[in-house]
Amino acid sequence: MEHFIETIGRNMFAIFGVLALVGALLMIGARSAIHSVLGFLFAMLNIAGCFLALEAEFLGVAQILVYAGGIVVLFLFVVMLVEMSKKHEGEVFQLQSRYAVLAVAGGVALFLGVFRKAIFGAPSPEALVLRPELAKGLDVAHQNAQAVSRGLFADYLLPFEILSVILLVALVGAVVLAKTERV
Amino acid sequence: MVSLNAVLVISFLLFSIGIAGVLIRRNALIILMCVELMLNAANLNFIAFARHSGSASGQAFALLVMGFAAAEVAVGLALVVALYRRRDTVQVDDINLLKG
Repeated sequence: MEHFIETIGRNMFAIFGVLALVGALLMIGARSAIHSVLGFLFAMLNIAGCFLALEAEFLGVAQILVYAGGIVVLFLFVVMLVEMSKKHEGEVFQLQSRYAVLAVAGGVALFLGVFRKAIFGAPSPEALVLRPELAKGLDVAHQNAQAVSRGLFADYLLPFEILSVILLVALVGAVVLAKTERV
Repeated sequence: MVSLNAVLVISFLLFSIGIAGVLIRRNALIILMCVELMLNAANLNFIAFARHSGSASGQAFALLVMGFAAAEVAVGLALVVALYRRRDTVQVDDINLLKG
Protein backbone atom coordinates (compact mmCIF):
# COMPACT_ATOMS: atom_id res chain seq x y z
CA MET A 1 0.00 0.00 0.00
CA GLU A 2 2.76 2.44 0.92
CA HIS A 3 4.61 1.47 -2.19
CA PHE A 4 1.45 2.15 -4.23
CA ILE A 5 1.00 5.60 -2.71
CA GLU A 6 4.65 6.38 -3.29
CA THR A 7 4.37 5.38 -6.93
CA ILE A 8 1.34 7.63 -7.38
CA GLY A 9 3.17 10.51 -5.72
CA ARG A 10 6.10 10.12 -8.04
CA ASN A 11 3.95 9.98 -11.16
CA MET A 12 1.55 12.74 -10.19
CA PHE A 13 2.39 14.82 -13.25
CA ALA A 14 1.78 11.95 -15.67
CA ILE A 15 -1.57 11.15 -14.06
CA PHE A 16 -2.79 14.73 -14.22
CA GLY A 17 -1.42 15.14 -17.74
CA VAL A 18 -3.21 12.06 -19.08
CA LEU A 19 -6.45 13.13 -17.38
CA ALA A 20 -6.08 16.58 -18.98
CA LEU A 21 -5.70 14.92 -22.37
CA VAL A 22 -8.85 12.88 -21.69
CA GLY A 23 -10.74 16.05 -20.78
CA ALA A 24 -9.53 17.79 -23.93
CA LEU A 25 -10.62 14.86 -26.09
CA LEU A 26 -14.04 14.87 -24.42
CA MET A 27 -14.21 18.58 -25.15
CA ILE A 28 -13.64 18.32 -28.88
CA GLY A 29 -15.69 15.13 -29.22
CA ALA A 30 -18.85 16.01 -27.32
CA ARG A 31 -22.01 16.57 -29.32
CA SER A 32 -23.61 19.19 -27.11
CA ALA A 33 -21.87 22.38 -26.08
CA ILE A 34 -22.64 21.86 -22.38
CA HIS A 35 -20.76 18.56 -22.36
CA SER A 36 -17.96 20.29 -24.18
CA VAL A 37 -17.74 22.94 -21.45
CA LEU A 38 -17.64 20.22 -18.80
CA GLY A 39 -14.77 18.51 -20.63
CA PHE A 40 -13.01 21.88 -20.78
CA LEU A 41 -13.49 22.31 -17.02
CA PHE A 42 -12.06 18.83 -16.39
CA ALA A 43 -9.04 19.57 -18.59
CA MET A 44 -8.40 22.91 -16.87
CA LEU A 45 -8.56 21.39 -13.37
CA ASN A 46 -6.11 18.70 -14.39
CA ILE A 47 -3.78 21.26 -15.92
CA ALA A 48 -3.89 23.03 -12.56
CA GLY A 49 -2.83 19.71 -11.05
CA CYS A 50 0.05 19.59 -13.53
CA PHE A 51 1.11 23.06 -12.39
CA LEU A 52 1.08 21.85 -8.79
CA ALA A 53 3.14 18.81 -9.74
CA LEU A 54 5.65 21.17 -11.37
CA GLU A 55 5.88 23.05 -8.05
CA ALA A 56 4.16 26.17 -9.29
CA GLU A 57 1.68 26.34 -6.41
CA PHE A 58 0.60 29.92 -6.91
CA LEU A 59 -0.13 29.38 -10.59
CA GLY A 60 -2.02 26.16 -9.88
CA VAL A 61 -4.39 27.94 -7.52
CA ALA A 62 -4.65 30.91 -9.88
CA GLN A 63 -5.51 28.50 -12.71
CA ILE A 64 -8.37 27.01 -10.70
CA LEU A 65 -9.65 30.45 -9.71
CA VAL A 66 -9.42 32.02 -13.17
CA TYR A 67 -10.62 29.09 -15.26
CA ALA A 68 -13.02 27.12 -13.06
CA GLY A 69 -14.24 30.25 -11.31
CA GLY A 70 -14.36 32.73 -14.15
CA ILE A 71 -13.97 31.49 -17.68
CA VAL A 72 -16.01 28.29 -17.42
CA VAL A 73 -18.89 30.17 -15.80
CA LEU A 74 -18.71 32.75 -18.59
CA PHE A 75 -18.80 29.97 -21.18
CA LEU A 76 -21.75 28.31 -19.47
CA PHE A 77 -23.70 31.58 -19.47
CA VAL A 78 -23.09 32.11 -23.17
CA VAL A 79 -24.00 28.49 -23.92
CA MET A 80 -27.27 29.01 -22.08
CA LEU A 81 -27.91 32.25 -23.97
CA VAL A 82 -27.05 30.88 -27.36
CA GLU A 83 -27.55 27.14 -27.50
CA MET A 84 -30.77 26.57 -25.61
CA SER A 85 -32.92 28.27 -28.20
CA LYS A 86 -31.28 26.34 -31.02
CA LYS A 87 -33.78 24.91 -33.42
CA HIS A 88 -31.78 23.02 -35.99
CA GLU A 89 -29.59 20.14 -34.82
CA GLY A 90 -27.06 20.19 -37.61
CA GLU A 91 -23.86 18.37 -38.28
CA VAL A 92 -21.32 18.69 -35.44
CA PHE A 93 -18.09 18.46 -37.38
CA GLN A 94 -16.81 20.40 -40.36
CA LEU A 95 -16.75 18.93 -43.84
CA GLN A 96 -12.98 18.90 -43.97
CA SER A 97 -12.58 17.31 -40.54
CA ARG A 98 -11.17 14.07 -41.93
CA TYR A 99 -8.29 15.90 -43.61
CA ALA A 100 -7.78 18.07 -40.55
CA VAL A 101 -7.51 15.05 -38.26
CA LEU A 102 -5.12 13.41 -40.71
CA ALA A 103 -2.95 16.53 -40.81
CA VAL A 104 -2.83 16.86 -37.03
CA ALA A 105 -2.09 13.15 -36.62
CA GLY A 106 0.72 13.53 -39.14
CA GLY A 107 2.15 16.41 -37.12
CA VAL A 108 1.97 14.40 -33.91
CA ALA A 109 3.69 11.45 -35.57
CA LEU A 110 6.45 13.71 -36.91
CA PHE A 111 7.03 15.24 -33.47
CA LEU A 112 7.14 11.87 -31.76
CA GLY A 113 9.49 10.61 -34.47
CA VAL A 114 11.88 13.50 -33.91
CA PHE A 115 11.77 13.15 -30.14
CA ARG A 116 11.67 9.36 -30.10
CA LYS A 117 15.11 8.93 -28.63
CA ALA A 118 14.63 11.63 -26.01
CA ILE A 119 11.28 10.22 -24.89
CA PHE A 120 11.62 6.48 -25.11
CA GLY A 121 15.39 6.14 -24.87
CA ALA A 122 17.38 5.70 -21.69
CA PRO A 123 16.74 8.47 -19.15
CA SER A 124 19.54 10.95 -18.68
CA PRO A 125 21.49 10.41 -15.47
CA GLU A 126 20.70 13.76 -13.90
CA ALA A 127 17.82 16.14 -14.40
CA LEU A 128 18.49 19.09 -16.65
CA VAL A 129 18.95 22.31 -14.73
CA LEU A 130 20.11 25.13 -16.94
CA ARG A 131 21.33 27.47 -14.22
CA PRO A 132 21.83 25.51 -11.01
CA GLU A 133 23.13 28.50 -9.06
CA LEU A 134 19.79 30.25 -9.56
CA ALA A 135 17.83 27.15 -8.57
CA LYS A 136 19.77 26.96 -5.35
CA GLY A 137 19.37 30.60 -4.40
CA LEU A 138 15.78 31.11 -5.44
CA ASP A 139 14.23 28.02 -3.85
CA VAL A 140 11.13 28.21 -6.01
CA ALA A 141 9.37 25.43 -4.15
CA HIS A 142 9.35 27.12 -0.77
CA GLN A 143 8.67 30.70 -1.73
CA ASN A 144 6.73 30.32 -4.91
CA ALA A 145 4.45 33.32 -4.53
CA GLN A 146 7.37 35.55 -3.54
CA ALA A 147 9.42 34.43 -6.52
CA VAL A 148 6.52 34.98 -8.92
CA SER A 149 5.78 38.40 -7.48
CA ARG A 150 9.40 39.43 -7.80
CA GLY A 151 9.33 38.38 -11.43
CA LEU A 152 6.01 40.11 -12.04
CA PHE A 153 6.50 43.40 -10.22
CA ALA A 154 10.25 43.91 -10.54
CA ASP A 155 11.60 42.26 -13.67
CA TYR A 156 8.51 42.39 -15.88
CA LEU A 157 6.68 45.45 -14.66
CA LEU A 158 6.15 46.91 -18.13
CA PRO A 159 4.42 43.80 -19.57
CA PHE A 160 2.29 43.70 -16.44
CA GLU A 161 1.14 47.29 -16.96
CA ILE A 162 0.53 46.65 -20.65
CA LEU A 163 -1.62 43.69 -19.66
CA SER A 164 -3.70 45.91 -17.41
CA VAL A 165 -4.32 48.27 -20.34
CA ILE A 166 -5.25 45.26 -22.51
CA LEU A 167 -7.73 44.11 -19.87
CA LEU A 168 -9.29 47.58 -19.76
CA VAL A 169 -9.62 47.67 -23.55
CA ALA A 170 -11.12 44.17 -23.55
CA LEU A 171 -13.62 45.20 -20.88
CA VAL A 172 -14.79 48.24 -22.84
CA GLY A 173 -14.75 46.30 -26.10
CA ALA A 174 -16.82 43.45 -24.68
CA VAL A 175 -19.44 45.87 -23.36
CA VAL A 176 -19.62 47.73 -26.68
CA LEU A 177 -19.82 44.51 -28.71
CA ALA A 178 -22.45 42.79 -26.60
CA LYS A 179 -24.79 45.68 -25.86
CA THR A 180 -28.18 45.71 -27.52
CA GLU A 181 -28.98 48.07 -30.35
CA ARG A 182 -31.85 49.96 -28.76
CA VAL A 183 -29.98 51.26 -25.70
CA MET B 1 11.64 16.04 -10.40
CA VAL B 2 9.38 15.74 -13.41
CA SER B 3 11.39 15.20 -16.56
CA LEU B 4 11.22 18.00 -19.07
CA ASN B 5 10.43 15.62 -21.91
CA ALA B 6 7.26 14.38 -20.23
CA VAL B 7 6.00 17.94 -19.87
CA LEU B 8 6.87 18.74 -23.47
CA VAL B 9 5.01 15.70 -24.77
CA ILE B 10 1.88 16.37 -22.68
CA SER B 11 1.89 20.01 -23.68
CA PHE B 12 2.39 19.18 -27.35
CA LEU B 13 -0.48 16.71 -27.29
CA LEU B 14 -2.75 19.27 -25.62
CA PHE B 15 -1.79 21.80 -28.27
CA SER B 16 -2.51 19.31 -31.07
CA ILE B 17 -5.92 18.51 -29.60
CA GLY B 18 -6.59 22.26 -29.52
CA ILE B 19 -5.62 22.65 -33.16
CA ALA B 20 -7.71 19.64 -34.14
CA GLY B 21 -10.69 21.10 -32.30
CA VAL B 22 -10.33 24.46 -34.02
CA LEU B 23 -10.17 22.73 -37.38
CA ILE B 24 -12.99 20.21 -37.01
CA ARG B 25 -15.70 21.84 -34.88
CA ARG B 26 -18.43 24.05 -36.31
CA ASN B 27 -19.52 25.67 -33.04
CA ALA B 28 -17.79 29.01 -32.43
CA LEU B 29 -17.95 28.53 -28.66
CA ILE B 30 -16.05 25.27 -28.82
CA ILE B 31 -13.48 26.84 -31.14
CA LEU B 32 -12.90 29.52 -28.47
CA MET B 33 -12.44 26.82 -25.85
CA CYS B 34 -9.88 25.10 -28.05
CA VAL B 35 -7.94 28.37 -28.32
CA GLU B 36 -7.94 28.54 -24.52
CA LEU B 37 -6.61 24.99 -24.42
CA MET B 38 -3.73 25.94 -26.72
CA LEU B 39 -2.84 28.90 -24.50
CA ASN B 40 -2.80 26.54 -21.54
CA ALA B 41 -0.45 24.18 -23.34
CA ALA B 42 1.91 27.12 -23.86
CA ASN B 43 1.60 27.96 -20.16
CA LEU B 44 2.56 24.42 -19.26
CA ASN B 45 5.73 24.83 -21.30
CA PHE B 46 6.51 28.15 -19.63
CA ILE B 47 6.20 26.59 -16.20
CA ALA B 48 8.22 23.52 -17.10
CA PHE B 49 11.08 25.64 -18.42
CA ALA B 50 10.87 27.92 -15.39
CA ARG B 51 11.14 24.86 -13.18
CA HIS B 52 14.12 23.51 -15.06
CA SER B 53 15.97 26.79 -15.45
CA GLY B 54 15.58 27.61 -11.79
CA SER B 55 14.14 31.08 -12.28
CA ALA B 56 10.60 32.26 -11.71
CA SER B 57 10.41 34.45 -14.82
CA GLY B 58 8.54 31.76 -16.72
CA GLN B 59 5.94 31.55 -13.99
CA ALA B 60 5.48 35.32 -14.04
CA PHE B 61 4.96 35.19 -17.78
CA ALA B 62 2.52 32.31 -17.42
CA LEU B 63 0.49 34.52 -15.11
CA LEU B 64 0.54 37.27 -17.75
CA VAL B 65 -0.64 34.77 -20.37
CA MET B 66 -3.48 33.75 -18.06
CA GLY B 67 -4.67 37.35 -17.80
CA PHE B 68 -4.38 37.73 -21.55
CA ALA B 69 -6.47 34.59 -22.04
CA ALA B 70 -9.16 36.04 -19.79
CA ALA B 71 -9.27 39.24 -21.88
CA GLU B 72 -9.39 37.20 -25.07
CA VAL B 73 -12.26 35.04 -23.89
CA ALA B 74 -14.27 38.12 -22.82
CA VAL B 75 -13.93 39.72 -26.25
CA GLY B 76 -14.51 36.40 -28.03
CA LEU B 77 -17.70 35.64 -26.15
CA ALA B 78 -18.96 39.18 -26.73
CA LEU B 79 -18.34 38.62 -30.45
CA VAL B 80 -20.23 35.32 -30.34
CA VAL B 81 -23.19 36.95 -28.60
CA ALA B 82 -23.23 39.85 -31.08
CA LEU B 83 -23.04 37.37 -33.95
CA TYR B 84 -25.91 35.35 -32.53
CA ARG B 85 -28.05 38.48 -32.21
CA ARG B 86 -27.39 39.43 -35.81
CA ARG B 87 -27.32 36.08 -37.63
CA ASP B 88 -29.19 33.79 -35.20
CA THR B 89 -26.46 31.15 -35.33
CA VAL B 90 -23.09 30.31 -33.82
CA GLN B 91 -22.15 27.69 -36.41
CA VAL B 92 -19.15 29.02 -38.29
CA ASP B 93 -20.25 27.36 -41.52
CA ASP B 94 -23.37 29.52 -41.65
CA ILE B 95 -21.37 32.72 -41.35
CA ASN B 96 -20.21 33.50 -44.89
CA LEU B 97 -20.70 37.24 -45.25
CA LEU B 98 -17.33 37.65 -46.94
CA LYS B 99 -17.85 34.79 -49.38
CA GLY B 100 -17.97 36.06 -52.94
